[in-house]
Amino acid sequence: MEDYIVEFRHITKCFPGIIANSDVSFGIKEGEVFALLGENGAGKSTLMSILFGMYQPDAGEMYVKGQKVKFHSANDATAMNIGMVHQHFKLVDNYTIAENIVLGMEPMTRRFGIFPSVDMDKANKEIADLSREYGLEVNPTDLIQDVPVSVRQRVEILKMLYRKAEIMIFDEPTAVLTPSEIDFLLKIIDGMRAAGKTIILITHKIEEIKQIADRCAILCRGKLVDVLNVQDASAQEMANMMVGREVDLVTHKDPAHIGKEVLNVSHLTVENEHHFPLVKDASFSIHSGEIFAIAGVSGNGQTQISDAITGLLPIASGTVTLNGKDITNASIRERAKAGISYIPEDRQSTGVVMDFTLAENLALRRYRKEPYSRHNILNFDKIRENADSLIEKYDIRSGQGGKSIVRSMSGGNQQKAIVGREIEEHTDLIIFVQPTRGLDIGAISNIHSQILKERERGAAILLISLELSEVMQLADTIGVIFGGELLKIAPADSLTTNEVGQYMMGVREG
Amino acid sequence: MIKVFTDGLSFALPLLIMAVGAIYSEKSGVTNLAVEGFQGFGAFIGALVAVMLMPLLPEGSQVPIYAALLFAAVGGGVYACLHALLCINFKANQVISGVVVNILAVALTTFYTSAVNAKLSGTASNKFILGVSNRYTIPGLSKIPWIGGLFQKMYPFEWIIIVLVIFFWYLMYKTRFGMRMRACGENPNALDAAGGNVVKTRWIAVIISGALSGIGGMCYAYSISANYSPSIYMGFGYLAIAAMIFGNWQIPSTALVCLIFGFARAGGQQLCIAMKLSSNYTDLFNMLPYVLTLLLLIFFSKRNHPPQAAGQAWDSSKR
Repeated sequence: MEDYIVEFRHITKCFPGIIANSDVSFGIKEGEVFALLGENGAGKSTLMSILFGMYQPDAGEMYVKGQKVKFHSANDATAMNIGMVHQHFKLVDNYTIAENIVLGMEPMTRRFGIFPSVDMDKANKEIADLSREYGLEVNPTDLIQDVPVSVRQRVEILKMLYRKAEIMIFDEPTAVLTPSEIDFLLKIIDGMRAAGKTIILITHKIEEIKQIADRCAILCRGKLVDVLNVQDASAQEMANMMVGREVDLVTHKDPAHIGKEVLNVSHLTVENEHHFPLVKDASFSIHSGEIFAIAGVSGNGQTQISDAITGLLPIASGTVTLNGKDITNASIRERAKAGISYIPEDRQSTGVVMDFTLAENLALRRYRKEPYSRHNILNFDKIRENADSLIEKYDIRSGQGGKSIVRSMSGGNQQKAIVGREIEEHTDLIIFVQPTRGLDIGAISNIHSQILKERERGAAILLISLELSEVMQLADTIGVIFGGELLKIAPADSLTTNEVGQYMMGVREG
Repeated sequence: MIKVFTDGLSFALPLLIMAVGAIYSEKSGVTNLAVEGFQGFGAFIGALVAVMLMPLLPEGSQVPIYAALLFAAVGGGVYACLHALLCINFKANQVISGVVVNILAVALTTFYTSAVNAKLSGTASNKFILGVSNRYTIPGLSKIPWIGGLFQKMYPFEWIIIVLVIFFWYLMYKTRFGMRMRACGENPNALDAAGGNVVKTRWIAVIISGALSGIGGMCYAYSISANYSPSIYMGFGYLAIAAMIFGNWQIPSTALVCLIFGFARAGGQQLCIAMKLSSNYTDLFNMLPYVLTLLLLIFFSKRNHPPQAAGQAWDSSKR
């Protein structure tokens, strides 16, 4: 029997309609970086929330430092020196960094020797010291609302250190970070391992596990698949175990069958409310069976192009023509009817209605048509049938099928629902904006194959992605956008990744 | 001028203590439209205790007033438990709960006032006759320039309110409880993850809210109306909410707003008298604070930052 600092024995946890963890048993050694790998909704976060005392398991036992424990709240876990950085940071926006860190464990003083009061001077000093010690520089008196995401994450890490955590859980820590910030974080994690802390890393990114983790447990649909030594396992092996089937890490693409012109954008200019041009004089066309990808660094006007085509933003000048018909001034519904499907960047605010059911969301494009409604009265039987068939076809997983509230579903499954709903309209033009952001590899390969299938069918596809690798894999034609201008439009096979990267930084042809 | 100041203050301070109550509830994340009901019910309990004490004490004794204030706080606090139970434990819509609590308070207190009066005096009047509190001037202190007005012709409860407001300002901004309570209204998940108890914190805040509102209602019963009757539900609770919103959920700025309301009202009344208008017009001039509210809300509500989590039931299983 090995000496584990944390051990799960036969943990089972159910939520209404979903078994989040089913009979999971494994142990974590002191001083290692232990990764939990799994798809969205595989039960990684639930298991760690149990360890952190936020949920109680329905069955099974937990041992921490050789002692059997039953946590009733995060307090109990904190008392055993367990800390957690949640995926969605738990910070108070209008509090300072120091106030957020000490919240719940405030240092106290007595004003004039009588009145008890929180000692913020002491807190500020302690936190400045702590942040220097671990190389996590922050200014304790900054307000959370004024600092970027990467600093907020440091605050969460400092919160654990302030509470003397020995076992630190990170829930998808890199999802919100840029590549250089990820490198920084991994260095911090490495440093904390050297300082003797035990780190548990929840992730679905295999390359990070390869970089930093010692051992790795793989969960698939709530069940433990295996515990591996990271050094001995290949990325492909881990990917297969995580998804539960063979996955292609490489996308297979057939040669394009380019047809007639579907979308023509000519001299398009989009301005913000101060008449500052966000898209400058952009012209391009997309043909049936073609994937036109717009590559670029975030914030260079990509989303404004898609919003102008779909009608979400007004067009300052230029024309948009769909199948020869000028839709420059058409309403959003007219454009949708004319044959545009849209998978928006911000799926939760533009793509779905979070507090509606899955079935209702799946009918959003159709509810006005027969048989889904007649004389303005909705036919819920048909809406349900529609949902059932899409759920089946696009493998949308949720607690209660069509009756699930979309808010309760994982991000990956929300995206599958949107993609399914939009593709099923079989329109001539489909616009995908960041279709795979935040998704795990299983879901990504699923969505990529959907995009390619639509291309086969003969749809014109506009793909806007910040992932250069995604653009290079899928595109037939690449347009690189910089500062609102399309700097370069060329067939994908005439460009290398490096060249596209250069144009993305604004390098013009000589 | 002195009259405007003293009258304005005696209207503003009870309003302020109610507004501070409302701030406590909202800062903890529970929307509070129930101030009107809290103050009415609290004042009912206080008035009940006073009318029961009065026959036992010599004529003109001021003891019933202090007993009434204490029991108004207790009554308001106990009644606020209803709002807390509905909003925190049953996760009801907080706006609807507030409205229900208000309507219920009017119905219950009107009924019980008549019922108690029938028992005590044999006539089913809907009033508890309380009389008006004495006003006091502290010699010496009242002669100090600027702040002397605070010691001149004051109802004793005004000083009590000033002390309470300072105490509750300190509690909210300087202490452990206050820090956790404000976190609770901004992001309860943050407090939960930090090991705080969201449910307990909100309960305490709502009870404080009820207690302070009760005190405010009792003060009005002992000053403006001189009795306890259904006319206690004159909308001062809603005015306190408006003061809180206009004061941006901060105690010092809310205090300023309450003073503006108080002086506007007292000034309007004096203006009415100075213009030798018939007393019918007083009602028209009493409207001033409300007109002022409307205007101010139009200009200032955009810049406000209400507690982010107010109005949302907290569910520990939602992440």
